[in-house]
Amino acid sequence: MTNSIQTLSAMAVTTAAGEEQKLIDALGSADASRKEKSDACRELGRMGSPAAIKPLAALLEDEEMSHMARYGLEPNPSLAVDSEFRTALGKLKGKLLAGVCGSIGIRKDKKAIDLLGEIASSSDAVAAAAAARALGNIGTENCVRVLKAALSKATGNVRLAVFEGLLRCAEALVEAGKTDDAKEIYESIGLMNPPRQISIAAALALDSI
Amino acid sequence: MSEKKSVPSQSNSSKPSRRRFMQGAAATGALAAAPAFFPAKVLGLEGAVAPNDKIVLGGIGVGNRGRTVLRWMLREPDVYFVADCDPQVARAKIVKEMVDEWNGNSDCKLYHNIHEFLEARTDIDAVLSTTGDRWHALAAILAMRAGKDVYSEKPSCMTIAEGQAVVDTSNRYGRIYQTGTQRLSGDQFVFCNESVRLGRLGKVHTVRAHIAPWDAAEMRHDWLPAQPEPPKSETDWDHWLGPCPWRPYNEEYCRGGWRGHYDFHTSCIGEWGAHTFPQCQDAIEMIDQAASEYGYVNNESGDGMVTKFSNGINMVLERDMDKKYWHGSCGVRYEGEEGWLATADGYEKVEASSPELLADFDKIVNEYSERTGRAVGDVSRHVRNFFDCIHSRKQTVANASAMHRTMSTVHAANICMWLKRDLTYDPFKQEFNDDEANRLRTRAQREPWIM
Repeated sequence: MTNSIQTLSAMAVTTAAGEEQKLIDALGSADASRKEKSDACRELGRMGSPAAIKPLAALLEDEEMSHMARYGLEPNPSLAVDSEFRTALGKLKGKLLAGVCGSIGIRKDKKAIDLLGEIASSSDAVAAAAAARALGNIGTENCVRVLKAALSKATGNVRLAVFEGLLRCAEALVEAGKTDDAKEIYESIGLMNPPRQISIAAALALDSI
Repeated sequence: MSEKKSVPSQSNSSKPSRRRFMQGAAATGALAAAPAFFPAKVLGLEGAVAPNDKIVLGGIGVGNRGRTVLRWMLREPDVYFVADCDPQVARAKIVKEMVDEWNGNSDCKLYHNIHEFLEARTDIDAVLSTTGDRWHALAAILAMRAGKDVYSEKPSCMTIAEGQAVVDTSNRYGRIYQTGTQRLSGDQFVFCNESVRLGRLGKVHTVRAHIAPWDAAEMRHDWLPAQPEPPKSETDWDHWLGPCPWRPYNEEYCRGGWRGHYDFHTSCIGEWGAHTFPQCQDAIEMIDQAASEYGYVNNESGDGMVTKFSNGINMVLERDMDKKYWHGSCGVRYEGEEGWLATADGYEKVEASSPELLADFDKIVNEYSERTGRAVGDVSRHVRNFFDCIHSRKQTVANASAMHRTMSTVHAANICMWLKRDLTYDPFKQEFNDDEANRLRTRAQREPWIM
C-alpha cells in the first residue's frame, strides 16, 4: 500500500514537472503567441517552482510581457524571485519599473529598501510613486529614513505617494508595538504641510494610538 | 436639510468636506487629540460653512446597474450629483442626460480619466463606483486616497489582497465606505437576520446562500477575437482594462461580456455570493471573519459546497434550481433547532417553518433600526445608510471590513473549486493550508495601476 502511494506520488510530481516544463518552454518559444505566453505566466504563478523563475524574469524587460512575468513571479515564495526583481530595478524605467516596485512591495523585500529609496527620489514620477508605496508596504525604520529623504524632492502625485508610504510605515510600526516611533512619524507629517487628506489621516491615527 | 436642489459652487466647494471632517473628527475625538502644530486651515477651521450644504457626489463607471443606484441617490434630499468619469464616453453621456434632467440644468461634467477626475474635482465629497468587478477595488482606493467617501457596487474586489487593501485605505484615510449589498438594508432580510441573532430559531446550525444559477465557478481564459480599438476619445481600452492583464479589444467586453472571464469576474459564486454571503455572515455574527473550511464539490458551479465558520455553523452554497429553499433571486435560508426562515427578492413576506416566527415583524425591524441608527425598509435605503454615515462618520452596515471578510469567503470558495480540493483557511492570518491556494490570494497588477 505504502509503495503504491509512493509510486502515485512520484508520478504526480513527474507529471507536474512535465507540465511546468511545457509552460517554461512556451515562454521562450518564438512560435508561442502573446496569449500562449500569458497563459503560461498565469499557470506558473499558481504552481511554478524555482525552475520557472529565470525564464519568467527574462521577460521583465519585454514591454508586452513584463506584467505577466510579474504575474508569474510575484506569488512564487522562492527568495530567488526577490533577487530577480532587485536586478530588474537597475534595468527598467517608467511603467515597467513601477510594476516591479509594486511587486517588491507586495513581497516586502527588505533588501530592496535602498534601491527603492533611490527610485522614490528620482525624477521618474510613475516609478517614484510606486517605489514610495512599496517602501510603505515594507514598513521598517529604514523605509522611514529613505522616504523622508525622498520627500524633500517630491512634488505632486509623488509627494502624495511618499506621504502614503510614511503612513503605511507608521501602521506597520504600530502593528509591531513601536507606537512611539509611529507617533513621531504622524507628528512629523503634520509639520510638513501635507495635503488635507494626509493631515486628516495623521490626526485620526494619532487619536487612535 | 433643505429639499431645494441648490447648485453647489465649485469655487467654494471644499467647505462641505471640511465641515464633515470637523463633524467626524469631533465625533471620534480626533480634533481634541490633534496636536497644536496642525494649522487651523489644514483642519478646515478657517471657513464658515452653510448649515444646509449638500453631499457633493460624483460617479465612476456608472453603467446600467449604476444608474439604478444613482436614481436611488438622486432622490435623497441632501445629495447633489455633479460629474461622472468613464472611459466609455457613450455611457457617460447617458448619465449626464439623466442627471441634468434631474437637476434641471446642463452642469453635469464628464471625465475620461480617473486621475484627472479625482485631481480636478476637489469639491466632490463622495463617489458612486459601479465599474465592473475588475476596477471596483482600485477605483475605491484611488477615490479614498483623494479624500472621497465611496459607495462601491459589488463584487467589490477581485482577490483577498485587494479586499485587504480597500480596508487599509478606508482606515488610513478615515473614509466612509459602503459596498452595494443593498439587501442588508432591506426590512425582510433585516427581520430574518435579527430573528437569528435574537435566538428565535433556537441554535442555528445551517444557513443557505444563493449563488447565481448561470455561468460557472470555472472561469474562461480565452480571448475574444481582436477588433480594431476605437479612438481613445470614445473608449479608452487601456483604461478599461486597468490593473487586469492586457488582451486585445473586443466591444463585447464593454457590453457586459466581461462576465465569466477569469481576469474580470468573480464567477457565479461571486455574482450572487457577494450579496448572500454577507447576509448569512451578518445573521450568524460572522461578518468580521471569512469561513474557515471549504468542501470541494464535483460540479461546475460550487452548488452544495459546505463552508464552515469558526462558530461551528455551516453555510451551504445553493443554486436551488428546483426552488426547494426559496423562489426569488439572492435567497437565504436560516435553519435552527426550533425552526427556519427564508427570504429572497420579490417576497411579499418572509417564509417560515411556523407562523409564530413571523410575529413582531415591525417591532423587530424598528428596534434594529433604532439600536443601530441604520435606515431600513426598501433595499434602496442602503444608500440612505451611506449618506447618514457620511454625516455621522459612523461605520456603514456594509463597510470595508464587512466587504472584505465576506468577499474573502467568495474568493476562498472559488479557489476551492479551481483547485478541486478541500481547503482550510485561517480567517485571522488570512492564509490557506495550501501553497497553491495561498498564491491565488493575489494577482500582480498591470502597470501603472499599482495599488
